[in-house]
Amino acid sequence: MTKTSQGNVFLSGSDLRHMILEACNYFELYKESINELNVYPVPDGDTGTNMCLTMTAAAKELQGVDSDSIGEVAKITARSSLMGARGNSGVILSQLFRGIARGLSGKEEASLSELGRAFQYGIVYAYNAVNNPVEGTILTVAREIAKGSREAIQKPLEIIDLLRIAIESGRKALDRTPELLPVLKEAGVVDAGGLGLIVFLEGCLHSALKRTAEKEGTPYLGEEGLSPLEIPDKFENGISSANDTEEFNPSYPYCTELLIKGENISLPEVRKSIETCGDSIIVAGDGELIKVHIHTAHPGTVLEKCLEKGSIHDIKIENMIDQYNETRWSSGKQDTYKKETAGYPLKNEFDSNLKASIGVVTVSSGEGLSAVFNSLGTDKIISGGQSMNPSVKEIVDAIMDAPAEKIIVLPNNSNIRLSAQQAAEIVDKEVKVVDTRSIPQGIAALLAFDRKKTLAENYKQMSERALQVKTGEITYATRDATVNNITVSKGDIIGISDGNLLVRGDTINGTLTELVNSILAEEDEILTLFYGQDVTGKEAREIAEHLGEKYPYIEVELQYGGQSLYYYLLSIE
Amino acid sequence: MAQIALVTDSTAFIDREKIKKHKIEVVPLYVNFPDEVLEDGSIDNALFFKKLRSSPKLPFTSQPSPGDFVKVYERLVKEGKEIISIHISSGISGTVESANSAAKMVDPSRISVVDSLFTSGGLAMMVLNASSAIDEGKTREEIVELLEKMKRNTHILFVPNTLEYLKKGGRIGGAQALLGTLLNIKPVLYFSGGRVEVFDKVRTMKKALQRIVDELPSSAEGLQVGILTAETSPEHIRMILALIEERLPGMMVEKYELSPVIGTHAGPGVLGLAYMQHF
Repeated sequence: MTKTSQGNVFLSGSDLRHMILEACNYFELYKESINELNVYPVPDGDTGTNMCLTMTAAAKELQGVDSDSIGEVAKITARSSLMGARGNSGVILSQLFRGIARGLSGKEEASLSELGRAFQYGIVYAYNAVNNPVEGTILTVAREIAKGSREAIQKPLEIIDLLRIAIESGRKALDRTPELLPVLKEAGVVDAGGLGLIVFLEGCLHSALKRTAEKEGTPYLGEEGLSPLEIPDKFENGISSANDTEEFNPSYPYCTELLIKGENISLPEVRKSIETCGDSIIVAGDGELIKVHIHTAHPGTVLEKCLEKGSIHDIKIENMIDQYNETRWSSGKQDTYKKETAGYPLKNEFDSNLKASIGVVTVSSGEGLSAVFNSLGTDKIISGGQSMNPSVKEIVDAIMDAPAEKIIVLPNNSNIRLSAQQAAEIVDKEVKVVDTRSIPQGIAALLAFDRKKTLAENYKQMSERALQVKTGEITYATRDATVNNITVSKGDIIGISDGNLLVRGDTINGTLTELVNSILAEEDEILTLFYGQDVTGKEAREIAEHLGEKYPYIEVELQYGGQSLYYYLLSIE
Repeated sequence: MAQIALVTDSTAFIDREKIKKHKIEVVPLYVNFPDEVLEDGSIDNALFFKKLRSSPKLPFTSQPSPGDFVKVYERLVKEGKEIISIHISSGISGTVESANSAAKMVDPSRISVVDSLFTSGGLAMMVLNASSAIDEGKTREEIVELLEKMKRNTHILFVPNTLEYLKKGGRIGGAQALLGTLLNIKPVLYFSGGRVEVFDKVRTMKKALQRIVDELPSSAEGLQVGILTAETSPEHIRMILALIEERLPGMMVEKYELSPVIGTHAGPGVLGLAYMQHF
């Protein structure tokens, strides 16, 4: 850090590099504690691990860098964290880096106000990454951090003070997340991704304090009161990563986004002019380029108001009601294949060409499940799932390895969607990510896959089909919690259906039977049970037989899944 | 202008009354059981499937010989007629080849052999529509052209109860890939370019039938619809009829049984849909 004669603080590339390396080490200390806490006490709360791995990917790359250009360091951080990004929170973090890199692009060093502005870009990128941003998550925390810092840098101050203010704004926002997101409030928790971001900033603060101490020649003994983990006491039921929750106000169904280009545009004025048009308003950027995001009932009015400030670009209006599962994760790329009449290929000879052109990449864990995916025509399997989310790079590699030019990705887990979407955006191939949130949904989607059809047709068909199965999971509680009015203790067996905790029990079979009972309907015909590695074939056959006798009108099919953590995965049609 | 005679094969499985009424000539295919060779359609279907189920080995089926066609063609030509001979898809049977060879031997200038690209109800619809066109006084060329149009507007989709028969009969085409799957799957198959291909894969009969019926045009105008059955469960037949009624209220639905030859390949329990619009 250097100071100019006017007292302005400048940050160098090596400062930033040091900060990220330090933050990464610091984060490592708290990741497990973040992991253990989740709205649903299922053994897949990986927010801490995912964010940590995302940072580690950047840190690894930065270790070998000796550039002192802050633009260069930021660029490397952005690129490597994106490739290493895991889970939704990891992807959002990488997008913050990406925006910061854009803001610092070409700069040797940056003033605090430049840094603050770069962070605004980060917010824009992060919100952009999530097509349907949800307030009460890491995004809200990031935005409030940006807001707090923006106000702070109006006055000259040290980087240490800036970071302290940023952390304080973040913590305030974090405390408010339960008010913004009902699912958090219901579970009495705050958002885990948001906490992760604060921990990261605390790591940065450590770095800055250390650097300052080194320069002043005084020993650095750490900072009092930094540890964020008094939080579990404050929020008894833990912390959640709730980026997946789609909550929006139905009176503002149109998610409207655009860029305003112009000169000396005032952000507050833009914000004020559209304030009454809706909610979930984001206005970010600088005086020349402003990103606007709003949920509104009148997108036309918003466009007109923005037009008063400058020229408008990259306009995107989506009906969020339709959007559910349809276009949310679509990359917006166009298909080059023409739609064939009613799904019938006109000529058989075209088949062999088309065969090479569309492939499927699937995320799966457990040899049995992978075998099922293979037998249904998956081109490439990425190992991963509940216990380990694959990185963006692993997904990129699988997409590139698959012998087809167009690729459908089945993430089969809500926490892998964003990584898959990011991977889709960086590869050279045309990729669609079907929003499958569980293995049974993935299998249902894959059944609808047809190489003879176009990418867009497959995407549509597979997305629809994924939602037509009812899914269930039998696992155990990783901590005490009360969810959906069901109180569970650590170690209890729990039954979840389509993301909702429905039953608790003491035995695997009892819980399974109760879960089946609560989701089975008269019109259902087939129940498929995939048993995991912690259940024997004999146990599985016995319970399958029992269910078959109990419900004679349905066919019970038993398959070895081999998955960890989940005793049974079930699919009902 | 010479009178036009229609020739088809046994897989169209048009009922005897209509055959007689429209003076349609039928050349049979064969089902070869280890102990006897049956002409397709020569025994009652119920009896046939009983024999099929109890046969230690799945019978193989064979196309008519060129000689079988020659006999019919010669007789008709001698009567001074022109011939339109419409047959089971060349993608799943060599019948069209036999007919072509026979036509060359007899009098190619008087015989048009048409590869229907379908069979069963789809083929039957074409033959019966061609018969009406003859009654309307259309020429052989006009009718052949009309048949080309019909081909483009005909569709057959079906759900076999089991893939076993298609697999053993080797007529599975693109459905081959389904055989290795670990899950119990109800494949929806269809005729594409004259071959049997996979249209979709679902897990339950209800979804399979819904999928098939969803393909029906939304307007009944100029539409002919038939269901294809072979020892099909009455419950499944009720189900598909209800779905068709829901989609196209008041739609007349023909019922086509599969001939033994087709039944041998599709297997008992199969349920299909054939439809043609605006040919």
